[in-house]
Formats: sequence, C-alpha cells, structure tokens
Amino acid sequence: MAAPSLSFSRPVFAKLSPHPYLLRTLAPQPPSDAAASRTNGRAPQEARPVHIHTSSLSHAHGSALVRTGDTTVICGVRGEVLPVANIPQYRPQATQQQQDDGDERADERGGLGRGELKDYDLLVPNIELATGCAPQFLPGVPPTTLAQTLSTRVYSLLHSCRVVDPKSLRIWYTPPTEVGNNMDTEEQQRQQEEADDGDDGPQLVAYWVLYIDLLFVSLDGNPFDAAWAAVMAALRDTKLPAVRWDPDRQAAVLQNNSQPTTTTATAAAAVPGQGKNSIKTTPLPVAGLPVACTAAVFPEKKHGGESMAASAAATVGNRHWILLDPDRSEETLCGETITMVVDCSSGGGGGETRIKSIEKQGGVVLGRELIRGFAGVAEKRWKEVRDAMQ
Amino acid sequence: MTVIPEATLSVLPRADGSARYAHAGYTVTASVNGPIEAQRRDEHAFEAHVDVVVRPAAGTGGTRERHLESIIESSLTQLILVKNFPRQLIQIVLQIETTPDNDYVNTKLVQASLNFPIVPSLLQAAVLALISAAVPMRATATASVVAVVSQEGTKRLVVDPSPRDLEQAQSVHVLAFTSHDELLLAESEGDFTVKEWDGVYEAALKICCRPTSTKAGIDVMLDDSEDAAGSDMRQFLRSTVEAKVAADLYWK
Repeated sequence: MAAPSLSFSRPVFAKLSPHPYLLRTLAPQPPSDAAASRTNGRAPQEARPVHIHTSSLSHAHGSALVRTGDTTVICGVRGEVLPVANIPQYRPQATQQQQDDGDERADERGGLGRGELKDYDLLVPNIELATGCAPQFLPGVPPTTLAQTLSTRVYSLLHSCRVVDPKSLRIWYTPPTEVGNNMDTEEQQRQQEEADDGDDGPQLVAYWVLYIDLLFVSLDGNPFDAAWAAVMAALRDTKLPAVRWDPDRQAAVLQNNSQPTTTTATAAAAVPGQGKNSIKTTPLPVAGLPVACTAAVFPEKKHGGESMAASAAATVGNRHWILLDPDRSEETLCGETITMVVDCSSGGGGGETRIKSIEKQGGVVLGRELIRGFAGVAEKRWKEVRDAMQ
Repeated sequence: MTVIPEATLSVLPRADGSARYAHAGYTVTASVNGPIEAQRRDEHAFEAHVDVVVRPAAGTGGTRERHLESIIESSLTQLILVKNFPRQLIQIVLQIETTPDNDYVNTKLVQASLNFPIVPSLLQAAVLALISAAVPMRATATASVVAVVSQEGTKRLVVDPSPRDLEQAQSVHVLAFTSHDELLLAESEGDFTVKEWDGVYEAALKICCRPTSTKAGIDVMLDDSEDAAGSDMRQFLRSTVEAKVAADLYWK
C-alpha cells in the first residue's frame, strides 16, 4: 500500500503552514543535524544589521534613512517658526525672566521644561505606511491602526526620553536698549509701558516646532525599532537655521551674514538646501541615544490562547523561542511582543544602563526573569545601533 | 477621588454584560457583547475576534485611543478562551467617563504620554464586564499603576499616582497579572534601571496578586501600613462578583 509521497518544496511548505514550518526549523528533528535557526536563516537572538544614512533629503533640516533587512524607513525633520502670539492658551512662564537658573530648576523638577514641549506641541511626529510597503497596505484607506499606534508610541517616547531640550527650540528677542535720539512721545509712551511690564531683558517670542515625518518605504517586520532609530538619527542630523526676531514684521528672519536681504524664516526654510553654505545653522542638541529593541515570542503551540485542559496536559511540550527583531512572517505567528528602549550613553558606556521604556503585551511567557535578561540583549543591540549611527 | 476602587456589575440593561469601575479619579463604563457574528473581514477561522473600542471622556477617539485599544485587546485575547468561538466576535466598548483633573497643567484633548494611568481602569472594567457577560475566560486579570517619584534625593514608589505625581515622576509603570500570577502586561516609560523595575514589579505584584487566604492577615496588615494606597485588587474583584451573585440569588 504505497501512499503517494507528498513532499513540498520549502517555499510551498512555508506558505501553506507557516507555523509548523518555523517550528521545524527552530527545533530540528533528531535525524537532521541542522542547527536551530529561523526561516530567514538568523539565530533566534540575532538581529538584522542596521544601515543608517543621514542628510539624504535636501529640503529637510535633518533626515535619515534607516534600513534593517527589508524594513526601510525614511525620516525628515523640519523646523517651522511658531510665534508665541499664535499659540492658543499661551502661558508666559517664570523661566522667561530668569532664563538660566530658573530653567535648570524647572528641568530638575521635570515640570515646566517638559510642559512647554507638550503644551504647545513642539514635536509633531507622523508616520505613514506607504502603499505597497507591505501587501496588507492598500491605497486610499485611512491610516491603519498600526500607523496610529506607532505614531502614538513615537510621540510619547519623544517626550518621556526628553531627547529634545525645549531650551534649544526657543527663539529670543532682546529689545534694543539704545533708543534713537529723535524719540517721539508715542515711542516714549511705549518705552514706559515696556518698563512697566518689566520686559527689558530678552523676551521669548517664538518657538521652533519640529515636524518629524516618517515614511515606511518597505516594511518587513519590526516597524517600531526602525522608526525610532530613524527619528533619533534624523534629530541628531538636524541643523536649525539661525534666526533673529524682527519686531516690525513680527516674524523671524534668517541671520544671514553673506547676503543682507532678509527673508522670513518660513519662506527661507522652504528651501534649506538652496545656498546652504551661506545660511548659518546650529545643530540641534540631542540628549542621549535611546535605542529600541523588539522581540517576539514564538510559542510551540499554535494559536496562543490554549484551553485549560490543553495547557495542563502539554506543559512539557510548551516550549517557546524569543525571536529578536522579528520579520513580517514571524510577526504574524507571534502574539507576545516586548519592546525595550535602553540608553547606555550616559557615563561613557561604563555607567548603569538606563531603561527608557518597556512595552510587553499579548502573552504571559515573558515573566520577570526573562524581561531582566532581555535588558542584556537590548544593551547589545544598543551598541550595534550606536556603531551604525557613527 | 476614590482611593478604594468601586465597581458595579450589569449597569447597562441592553448589553450582554457591563460594568462600571471607578478608581483613582478614573471612571470607566464597559459593555460587552458577544459572542456575536463577526464581519467578514474580522472573521478568524480558528478563534474569536476580540474588538475593543475605547471612547474618550470628551471628543472623538484619536491615535492615543487606538494605542490603548491595541494594548487592551492583546491582553484580553489572552484571557478569553477565543478558540471556543471560531468565526465569532466579542465586542468590548470602554467609555471613559471621568479622568482626574490637574490644575497645574494645561488641559488639552491630545496629551502625550498620559496614556498609562488609565490602562488599569480600562482593563479592570473590561474584565468585570466580561465576567458579567459570562464570557468563558482562562483567567481574570488585575492591574495597577506605579510611579517612581524622586523627592529630596530619595526615590519612593507611588501607587495610583495623581496627575501631579505623574508630572514629577521619573518613571511610570503599568503592570497587569493574570489570576495565575503570570505577568500579562508590562508598560513602562520614563527613566529607570533594571533594579528599580524590580522594585516596581514587587510592589505591583503585592497589589495585584496578594494571596486571598486570611492566614497571612498579619503580614497584610503590615504591608498596608507600608504602602497605604495599595489595595488588594484580586480580593476586590472577588468580593465585587460575590456581592453581585449574592444579590442576584437573594430570592432563593
């Protein structure tokens, strides 16, 4: 009774039943001497190498292209000037008068410094998953849940990590102390008013708003790590043009040494690439280098939420693998994911690793010990990404 | 602001199950309908689709609500025996009714990183509503939020932090445990070390998974004096359901 042998080629097997296929490669049967690996040839704890290219967009103030495997994301940072007069619910803060010592105290408390960024929305990230970056993204649909979730995560991480110092986004104006000799009464009156307000010192007149736009060119799993690396690389690459406030026009104008003609910052900022050499720019200070590291848990049993009886019977065969930097096919098979954001940059690498964020959801495999151990994996990933950034 | 959690089961007459949960200034009403027929695009051949909708207290839901929905959904999918209901849908609607006020910050509709403190309330309300709807579950879950606040050089843990505490907190952590003491959900943000996270884990475990036996009464009393705000979530869940069952079976 010779049954016809059913044998499929590898791609067909992978397509038909992805879960057993991945399971078989991770846990090879005894006769085969193949080493345990994932279907993409990586070891379970092996991440894809990161490639980062900065300043590739000529019309943004800072940009970065990040590629890990087949996940490619491009990030552009653009600064726009927001005069305080245009901010609804603007609350002048005590920091304006004592801009040096007052600020430091506020930052230590973690109150006002962060409040500015949050209250006036000075950081505006947006993520777009381009049509065709992965098969599930169709044209002409509203932003998917994935895109919305990703931008919320990037948004809250930008604030909680305090990578951008609000001080570097403030635009100051110092009223001239010398007044012309033909001062008429009207001007005198204005001077009087200003003196009453106590506005002799530098005034905070505007803020830079950073629009951080991310576009996924292709998506092959692990979008958050790539997106966050792109945001960090682009922010580190950002150079804001030096501007000064023109009180007559109530606008910021470029501090341009070579050409005396002033342009409004917004107009000039539209073409930062044009005459780049002549425009004075200051690099945006970025504090620390948080790096995201994601892993997914691949359970031996298909469809994670097993019933009581099954879980009791099959505790022995209930193995799991932690797959670092999962690709798209692995993501569809894994329910539980963990993302840890670490920063080892403080203290010259010798200091204690600071964890900036942990997001673990969708399962119960990762307990306390595994999460603790995952910090070491994240540290290793941090070094890889840091090397790629330099 | 309620320090002790309060809950009522089956508050909505039309839904299959519902619950109202109030804790630490948040009030959430949850309704559960299911298992019902799923739309074609949501249908899964082997398991039920869990659909979570989070509605904010004011305005329409935005990206933040989508994020909360995805967190809650991935946790509840682990609890509900989804494989018992292939091609079905279990819909959970979570309406946020009140959130604690903070006089010190600008109140904006869209807030960054204020997502976490509401997660325990949402999860707790959802679990209670699922019990009320008699949806078969593998386990129940309890959740708590812990903040690490640094004051005069010393770090201290604040359970159920107020908005003002959150503003000054170094890190904020949300942890949820199943009734088998497994870590179901861990969301943290801020600036912390592995050691600090361990301390937070201990504190959250104490709140969420305190053994219900009365033998450990003395220990419990000592713990209570240590962190006064830490309530026993598992006991609370049990007593809420017990009270409801007792009320329903009163006629017998």
